[in-house]
Amino acid sequence: MALLRAALASALVSSGLGLAAQTPRASEYQIKAVFLFNFAQFVDWPPGAFPDSTAPLVIGVLGDDPFGPYLDETVRGETVRGRPLEIHRYQKIEDIKTCHILFISASEESRLESILGNLKDRAILTVGDGAGFARRGGMIRFMSEKSKIRVRINLAAAEAAKLMISSKLLRAAEVITPGKL
Amino acid sequence: MSPGDKPIRQKLMAILRLTSGVVVVLSCAAFLVYAVLSFRQTTLKNLSTLGAIIAANSTASLAFQNEADAREILSALRAEPHIVGAALYDKDGRLFSRYPADLGVADLPVAPARDGYRFEGAHLVGFEPVAQPGNTRLGTLFIRSDLKAVYGALGVAGGTAVLVMGLAMLVAYFLSNELQGAISRPILLLAATAKGISERQDYSVRAPKLGADELGSLTDAFNQMLGRIEEQNASLRQLITELERSNKELEQFAYVASHDLQEPLRMVSSYTQLLERRYGDKLDEKGRKFVDFAVDGAIRMQQLINDLLEFSRVSTRGKPLKPVDVNRVLNTVKLNLSVAIRESDAIVTNDQLPTVMADETQLVQLLQNLVGNAIKFRPAPPARPQVHVSAQVGETECVFAVRDNGIGIAPEYFERIFVIFQRLHAKSDYPGTGIGLAVCRRIVERHGGRIWVESAPGQGSTFYFALSNGTGEQPL
Repeated sequence: MALLRAALASALVSSGLGLAAQTPRASEYQIKAVFLFNFAQFVDWPPGAFPDSTAPLVIGVLGDDPFGPYLDETVRGETVRGRPLEIHRYQKIEDIKTCHILFISASEESRLESILGNLKDRAILTVGDGAGFARRGGMIRFMSEKSKIRVRINLAAAEAAKLMISSKLLRAAEVITPGKL
Repeated sequence: MSPGDKPIRQKLMAILRLTSGVVVVLSCAAFLVYAVLSFRQTTLKNLSTLGAIIAANSTASLAFQNEADAREILSALRAEPHIVGAALYDKDGRLFSRYPADLGVADLPVAPARDGYRFEGAHLVGFEPVAQPGNTRLGTLFIRSDLKAVYGALGVAGGTAVLVMGLAMLVAYFLSNELQGAISRPILLLAATAKGISERQDYSVRAPKLGADELGSLTDAFNQMLGRIEEQNASLRQLITELERSNKELEQFAYVASHDLQEPLRMVSSYTQLLERRYGDKLDEKGRKFVDFAVDGAIRMQQLINDLLEFSRVSTRGKPLKPVDVNRVLNTVKLNLSVAIRESDAIVTNDQLPTVMADETQLVQLLQNLVGNAIKFRPAPPARPQVHVSAQVGETECVFAVRDNGIGIAPEYFERIFVIFQRLHAKSDYPGTGIGLAVCRRIVERHGGRIWVESAPGQGSTFYFALSNGTGEQPL
């Protein structure tokens, strides 16, 4: 239902008939919420990332939450490979205990390098939408492109964290290697 | 020609060909159905495999809404020319990508239908769920294949079936020609033998036996029957020969006896008459009476012998039958009987009479006896004797009738009157030896006919005789 509304909104936006009640920003984060959930299906975590086979998969948001209710709505009742999903919101990096996908909010832009450095050895898929997020060491960046959301992947960063990204996802995404341009 | 009239060879061949034809057609039909069904099944399986592969590849495209990627994945379907359409729908059923790119939206389902593969009209269509294994559904793949491959397979299968059918029919045609002979040949031989026998009346031939089956037993039974007929014919022929010989001997005996009896009788008769003439005045009344008795007896014996001779001459002196106009015969009869007719004042009438195959002399004798009898056994005067001769021409025989108004005969005597020397009346009332009707019967029988009477005392009599229309003389 939420997706339908988002899609409807995005269709209206793209045709220039935006509704006052629904801002383009809201629908953009609605799609990003779905993408965050979908990453869980295309990424394999190393064996130690989960304490057991039924442990929940945790999606965390660090800093100010731009998703509003969408992230909770998206994962409600869903499972990934039999695991339930949990949404955790963190204000500080020290709060992060178990986490598998971490969305680093734009509010953490200035501290990004330190955050990424801190998470370097942990099997956490880092996602962000700030400019240069992937180039700066983040794994996946959302890019807005002609009213569409594109995915850019820093494969080396993911591999360093022992995360296996499905080739299908790689196909659908843009893969970059930092250092080269 | 009704089906029942066809020769047995044709019937057998028809049975063999029809049976094999039906079997071949049914087998080919079964083969075709099987081929089409299995090929449809294979096509379905192939399409579902293809659908599963494409669907598995499309998960990320749908999950991350990458239309370019989706288009590229779908365009891989180019390798399979039978795929005429494909589309991806997202989780909410909206069209996301389609193949080929120029395919109109109107040609695609508005929304995905029930998952699975099925035949719809001239197409095979399928809806395949798109999801990462074990995960929530991301969308639906629609795929549509034409059935040209199925039709192609049907064409090949059909061609093969027609070829096989043609070959099978050809083989069945020649085989039936060869095989039917096993049954028809003995039957045809049997039929030919039977036909030959009935045409030539030759019971000495035997039908050849070709095997020990039922037809062989039939041939055996037929040949045994022929043997028995031959034996019976031989014994019948022997019996007939014996009968003919004894009959001829008897006739000869009767003829010779009566002929040779005439000579001594003539002596007795002549000398008793001479005795009466010369010595009549020398004898007393009693002596003359004795001589009279002797003369009378001799004359009667003479008459009897003459009658016997006449009776036996019917067969010994018979002439061959030829067409005789019975009107002319009756005129001769009336001429011969003119004295009796005049004396009795009889009226002899007749219808138009036909021409029949007969011995004319004997026919005159026959009619003369019957008309003569009619006048002889006349009603008491002053009534005049009336005799009417008529004839009815039937299909196989002519029935003549001689009707009179005479004294009539009681039914119990109807048979007796035709026996030689049988008389119903005292000689004093009606003269004669009682030979007339016996001769009549003999003549009619020699002509292969019948003679009978219908009468009642005082009611007149009608004598009928039937003569065959045929030409042949019947053996006695």
